[in-house]
Amino acid sequence: MESLSGYDVGRSGRVARVEGDEAVQRRLLEMGFVRGEEVRVHKRAPLGDPLELVIKGYHLSLRRDECACILMEKE
Amino acid sequence: MAIVALAGNPNCGKTSLFNALTGARHHVGNWPGVTVEKRSGTFEQAGLNLEVVDLPGTYSLSARSEDERIASSFLAEPAVDVILNVLDASNLERNLYLTTQLLELKKPMVFALNMMDDLERQGTRVDLEALAALLGGPVIATVGNRGEGIAELKAALHRVATGADPSLDPGLWPPRVTYGEDLEFEVRRLAEEVSRDEKLTEHLPARWLALRLLEGATDALEQAEASHARQAIQQQLEAGTRFLEAHLGADCATLIAERRFGFARGLMAEVMVRKDRQGRTPTDRIDAVLTHRFLGIPIFLGLMVAMYALTFVVGKIPQDWIADGFAWLHDAAAARLPAGELTSLLVDGVIPGVGSVVVFLPVIMILMGCVSFLEDTGYMARAAFVMDRLMHLMGLHGKSFIPLIMGMGCNAPAIQATRTIEARSDRFITILVSPLISCSARLPVYILLAGAFFSPLGGAVAVVAMHLLGFALAILAGKALRLSLFRNENTPFVMELPPYRLPVLRTTLLHMWEKGSVFLRKAGTVIFAGATLVWFLSNYPGITNRAWAAELRAQEEAVLAQGLPEAEAKEKLEDLAFAHKGRIMNSSLAARFGHALRPVFRPILDPDRTRPEAWKDGVALTAGFVAKEIVVGTMAVVHQARAEAPDGQEGSPLQQTLRERSGLTPLTALAFMIFTLIYTPCLGTVGMILKETRSWRWTGFSVGYGLVLAWLLSWGTVTVGRALGFA
Repeated sequence: MESLSGYDVGRSGRVARVEGDEAVQRRLLEMGFVRGEEVRVHKRAPLGDPLELVIKGYHLSLRRDECACILMEKE
Repeated sequence: MAIVALAGNPNCGKTSLFNALTGARHHVGNWPGVTVEKRSGTFEQAGLNLEVVDLPGTYSLSARSEDERIASSFLAEPAVDVILNVLDASNLERNLYLTTQLLELKKPMVFALNMMDDLERQGTRVDLEALAALLGGPVIATVGNRGEGIAELKAALHRVATGADPSLDPGLWPPRVTYGEDLEFEVRRLAEEVSRDEKLTEHLPARWLALRLLEGATDALEQAEASHARQAIQQQLEAGTRFLEAHLGADCATLIAERRFGFARGLMAEVMVRKDRQGRTPTDRIDAVLTHRFLGIPIFLGLMVAMYALTFVVGKIPQDWIADGFAWLHDAAAARLPAGELTSLLVDGVIPGVGSVVVFLPVIMILMGCVSFLEDTGYMARAAFVMDRLMHLMGLHGKSFIPLIMGMGCNAPAIQATRTIEARSDRFITILVSPLISCSARLPVYILLAGAFFSPLGGAVAVVAMHLLGFALAILAGKALRLSLFRNENTPFVMELPPYRLPVLRTTLLHMWEKGSVFLRKAGTVIFAGATLVWFLSNYPGITNRAWAAELRAQEEAVLAQGLPEAEAKEKLEDLAFAHKGRIMNSSLAARFGHALRPVFRPILDPDRTRPEAWKDGVALTAGFVAKEIVVGTMAVVHQARAEAPDGQEGSPLQQTLRERSGLTPLTALAFMIFTLIYTPCLGTVGMILKETRSWRWTGFSVGYGLVLAWLLSWGTVTVGRALGFA
């Protein structure tokens, strides 16, 4: 399954599952990364990391390490 | 008196709503045992006094971070009469996640739908009555920073706090959020086990605890662990978790979060009429420039330069006024009071001691004003977004960059600026490495020594090298602390980029005032006590020596009797006072301490054991503990040579003395510079570290590792330098 860290700027998809250690997984769940939720990669920081995402209508920044925990549905 | 707990997400405008509710009647303190600020204030409504406690902004009550633990444990307290949940209207769906948790506490609630103006501008309408019915409490539309809706909010809080509306009795409510058949079944069974321990459910609904156990909230697990029904609860929890995970194909935390967001989405669909957004929002357009691939970093650095200039260049003006004011006070007191020990304590101890505290105020207030402005506009998150990659390499957070840069001006306010960093480990590491950044007070020491021992070019290189060394050490120390003492505290980087907003001047000013007054109260006492102690050490017992004082007076009279021209007489008198000061200093407790320190400093400052004057280094460095710039003044006194260059000459008498008589060599002078860079931050910084970590242990650690690192690096420099044939 592809993770969000492989997404290019402008691409969007739906969350399938969130993995990773407990602290990361729980925090991402609370921020809205639940099954079926649509996420779009909005921007990449000037130095390439972190990423700016849009989810549930708000903007959020995650490092690529955290994005790798978010597995996306196949399109 | 009724207690209202103010809960909400970060960036939902909670603080401006708090200010609007309580006006100036509030108090800033700390939550017990932690460094998180606690604000509380009161307002009166229809004869009832309501106390509002502003909880830290959190996305949930999972009790994993310090903030969340504070919020959830305070909310669970029986003393809380009403929960006021502040919701960012333009980001309602995500904000409702916290609401679903708050509802489970079954306490009377009031909801403030804040920043309604943002939403209305987008053309979205909300059915407030329907929302109130679904949430089970009054919903008031507010714009906190403009004070809109505050009167209605106060009335609603009063109504709910006094139980004037029986339909608001939370005991009668059905659960607002339902978790589906399987999950509900397990929640019920676990709640039954929890109910066996009356202590657990005395103040809290069993359902709340059961859900928290299934979610894995640490505080609930700890409570269950301490219960006499521990075994039954744990068995049920394990069985339930196993069953749910097998049947529903996901872990409990995921299942619960999904249901909560399902509730939020359903609610949104019922109460909101959303107009499709057209085109880019103003925030998108601003971000197109401010976080631009090529422009983002130059703009950020430009802002840093502006902020630095505002803080330390503009801030220097009122600082000079304060310094002049205290100097005037010093002279006035010295001229009017009879000479003696008590006068000296007041004139040379207390007045400069108070001055050394107050002089920090302008830079602290300006810097905190800038930081508050950046935060309230929303730019702080963008700054962290732009710089995070670089800072992450150092084991730090994007938000650590600003304190480190501002540290070049002064470490003390820089450490206060770490308040913007949310995660405890990121903040503590930044606080601990900040003193390694070479501040402007160390510059005079470098200039003195570099000017005395190096060629102009070599001296310039050495001064720049000190600054680079400071940064390099901060990077290495940050990485080392991350990998050692903070190994187990890894907070994920999850940072909201809130929409840009115009800050309210009143909030910024209030923030500056608060930071300034808290500094005076908390850090001021430590700085003042330390300054007085060092005064004592460097003046006793010589200052009590009547014979010396009489000698000085006789010499002064002799000079005056000569009838010299005024300028010449003044110069002679100054020389006499300077010599007298040297006499006291060189026989003081500090001097004895300097002698005692000789063995410690010998390997780095006197490797050949040929310097009779080596103890003077110890005295100067000890006095430098108050503030590093004092090192120069103390060296002038102990070496009895002025630090100011006479007109038209290059180099001061002190530099000449150091070069010709002190026995220092270019290599040991370099070691002295390195030691000055790294050793124990000044008292102002120590006071600030104590205030920000609220821990003598961490403060002691900071002082201790600075000393050890300073010694090791200076020693390494001398040892390697000598091996390479330098002297």
